[in-house]
Amino acid sequence: MTALITLKGVNKYYGDYHALRDIDLTINAGEFFSLLGPSGCGKTTLLRTIAGLEDVSGGVVMIGGKDMAGVSANLRPTNMVFQSYAIFPHLSVAENVAFGLRRRSDLSKDDKARMVEDALSMVGLSGYGKRASHALSGGQRQRVALARALILKPKVLLLDEPLSALDKKMREQMQVELIRLQRHVGITFILVTHDQEEALVMSDRIAVMFEGEIGQLADPETLYRRPNSRRVAEFIGKMNFLSADVLALGDMIEVDVAGLGRVSVQAEQAPMALHKGAAVAGVRPETLAILFDGETTDRKLVDGVVDEVVYYGDMTYYDVRVAGIDQPLNIAMKNLIGRPVLEVGVATKVVWDERSLVLLA
Amino acid sequence: MSLRVYAIAYLIFLYAPIALLPIFAFNDARIIAFPLSGFTTDWFAALMTNTSLHTAVKNSLFIAVMTAILSTLLGICAARAGAMYRFPVKAGIMGFIMLPLVLPEIIVAVSLLVVVVQIFDMGLSHWTIIAAHVLICTPFCIAILNGAFQNLDPSMEEAAMDLGESRFSAFRLVTLPLVMPGIISSMLIAFTISLDEFIIAFFLSGVSPTMPVYIWGLMRFPAQLPVVMALGTILVALSILLLTIAELLRRRGMARAGVKDKGGFL
Amino acid sequence: MFKKLTSSEGGRGLLLISPPFFYALLLMAFPLGAIILFSFWTQNFMDVDTTFTLNNYRTIIEQPIYGALLQRSLFVSGTVTLVTVVLAFPIAYFVSFHVRSDRKALWLFLITIPFWTSYLIRVFLWKVILGYNGVINTGLLNIGLIDEPLTFILYNVNAVIITLAHAFAPFAILPIFVALEKIDRSLLEASQDLGENKVMTFFRVTLPLAMPGVVAAVLIVFIPTIGDYVTPELMGGAGGKLIANMIQTQFLALNNAPLGAALAVVAMLSVTAISLVFVLLNRRWLRGRS
Repeated sequence: MTALITLKGVNKYYGDYHALRDIDLTINAGEFFSLLGPSGCGKTTLLRTIAGLEDVSGGVVMIGGKDMAGVSANLRPTNMVFQSYAIFPHLSVAENVAFGLRRRSDLSKDDKARMVEDALSMVGLSGYGKRASHALSGGQRQRVALARALILKPKVLLLDEPLSALDKKMREQMQVELIRLQRHVGITFILVTHDQEEALVMSDRIAVMFEGEIGQLADPETLYRRPNSRRVAEFIGKMNFLSADVLALGDMIEVDVAGLGRVSVQAEQAPMALHKGAAVAGVRPETLAILFDGETTDRKLVDGVVDEVVYYGDMTYYDVRVAGIDQPLNIAMKNLIGRPVLEVGVATKVVWDERSLVLLA
Repeated sequence: MSLRVYAIAYLIFLYAPIALLPIFAFNDARIIAFPLSGFTTDWFAALMTNTSLHTAVKNSLFIAVMTAILSTLLGICAARAGAMYRFPVKAGIMGFIMLPLVLPEIIVAVSLLVVVVQIFDMGLSHWTIIAAHVLICTPFCIAILNGAFQNLDPSMEEAAMDLGESRFSAFRLVTLPLVMPGIISSMLIAFTISLDEFIIAFFLSGVSPTMPVYIWGLMRFPAQLPVVMALGTILVALSILLLTIAELLRRRGMARAGVKDKGGFL
Repeated sequence: MFKKLTSSEGGRGLLLISPPFFYALLLMAFPLGAIILFSFWTQNFMDVDTTFTLNNYRTIIEQPIYGALLQRSLFVSGTVTLVTVVLAFPIAYFVSFHVRSDRKALWLFLITIPFWTSYLIRVFLWKVILGYNGVINTGLLNIGLIDEPLTFILYNVNAVIITLAHAFAPFAILPIFVALEKIDRSLLEASQDLGENKVMTFFRVTLPLAMPGVVAAVLIVFIPTIGDYVTPELMGGAGGKLIANMIQTQFLALNNAPLGAALAVVAMLSVTAISLVFVLLNRRWLRGRS
């Protein structure tokens, strides 16, 4: 894997507002990379500094080994799919896609027409070239934006919340298509999104950003299973947080978890540096289970009382009160054949396993 | 329902004076009053042979064309800056530029007269009128162009730059075609205002009067009034034509930018 | 320096705004300053004496004609404003609330068209309508409502007010219309849902929300009307002349530019002061209600 984009100590100020704080980041060639975070975390600003649409206040942006300082957007080997798609309303679909070829005097008119048709067929819009662009649907506009950017064969394709304007069905369909397209063209994709599920589904690696900083940079599975801070854990998926007391550190960590008791866990279950004493133990709802009548387990059990039931169809989410914990435990159960939906107030047993715990400071 | 009746009555009030114009322009009498006496086109014929009127029209056309171009250029700067950029004390600067909209014209006229004649001791010319007309037309141009520029997605130009165009050619290839209807409509409005403006032109015109100043002169001679009516008829017809074009262009611009029409010049 | 300016968003914005800004500075702010300066000088036959003096202002205070003219001007402008805005509000309301949205542009277009046609000729035509042998008198005589032509409608303040109210109609309608258009229609439904009838909804919701438009309309009519001398000249007769006519006379006929400048300054200050008081009172009234 070769580094394609390198950011070193990138800072960005808007007046007094510190939008990007000392960003260090390497993005590899051919990677599907995501910048994930809540709105206002600086992810779009970071994307725009790579595109050259935003100057950095300090630090270095390198693409393909070249320092991009003073290189304006039109001269960078990056192309962007804008959040609004920015399809030029006064141009037809084909004219939109061919927009970036205007300065390519080495190409004949026929070459350009063929390239446009190829680009359109790549995004599933064969034969749409003559259409007026303002008559397109949201999904079609996005495809035109993709074709328009990819026709220039950039080293990096930048996508600024490209799916946020689409409805849920269309969004899921485009997620799959974007992954397929990225594998097909082999270009580095950098996606900005606030949707954690979208980032998990599509990316090779994800940088989670908060307040202008990268909170964690990891592959989706690590990010989900071993979040390195409470705010990453809160932002991605659901997690129960239990107060814990670290008793001994080492290859195995001895810890007393409120409500669950004393256990020892692997050192890698603590992604951030720990000290003896107070800590937090996180556990995902789907790694806990309710022991229904007639089921058996060799895992650990703890007594509880159903406090709240939220029925989702395929899943049921239970809040179960357990002695020694202030907040009830949130537990996700698949509605398998024969499993009843429990009622509030029913006494039950909760199945848990110390291997699913993550320890946070 | 009663509101609609009122609205129609109000429109009649608005149009009453203009409706009279063609009636007297074709009336075969030197006195502008009822009863009418007969049909004639003499007054229009008289317009054709009046050389001092022709000079005045030429003066006014020159002034109006220059005013339209200059005030629209200034309007483009202001509307683009207002719609696309954040900068220090923006609201204050924009308010200041729009101020001529509420400034009494006589104040504009006398203050410029004082500066030009008394302080700089320069002569009055068409350019002094143009300078003042640009000042009062620019706010109107900004108001019209604001609509065009604010409807523009700022990422359009960024997309063009991202696709390899420089800042200037991005403006030329993307923004300019999209705001062109607004630009033409702004020029037509400024042209119309300048062509019709009297108070400032009266103070600032040099030896050769503009058309409204010439009409003002004619009004003192009752015998010339039917000719004024004929001239007015032509002017009103032209104004309506120009404004209809401006309005149609504005609507086409809205449609082209894919925006729903909310209507109106301002 | 230039490079630095163009590299930041704020810099590009300032660079772009500077041509219209400096134009307004040079051709509006600077001349306004000049006229204030000028009002403290005196005319000495063909020359201007640049010694600082308050004589022009003393003249304005001491000679009753100026005060009377100013008073009459403010009265006319105030009345014109009141009449224009009161007449305009229902039209703006009608177009905003009762006209189908695809027809609104057409209505606004119809309303603005007369405004763009030659002002001088429009004023003159009012003379034709209101005159001794005019449309109204001829009409009323013909249907036998009057035996002699009415004379109180031309060559006096009434005629000036009618003509100006006509000329400034679109200026009043457009800002009110814009303010009414901005009102979220669900607010009116909410008010009715909370128990108010249509009339009270208008007074408790629509009108307060339309106030910014009404204020804009008042200012945009009141301030410029003080500077008009065409209408009083043509329509006012001897008793209908206004301060603007006097300014014009001082500048062009009597060749006493400093006195004219002082009159212009006094007129501007009075108008500005009245406008400020109006805006402040309005703000307090709106705040008092909420």
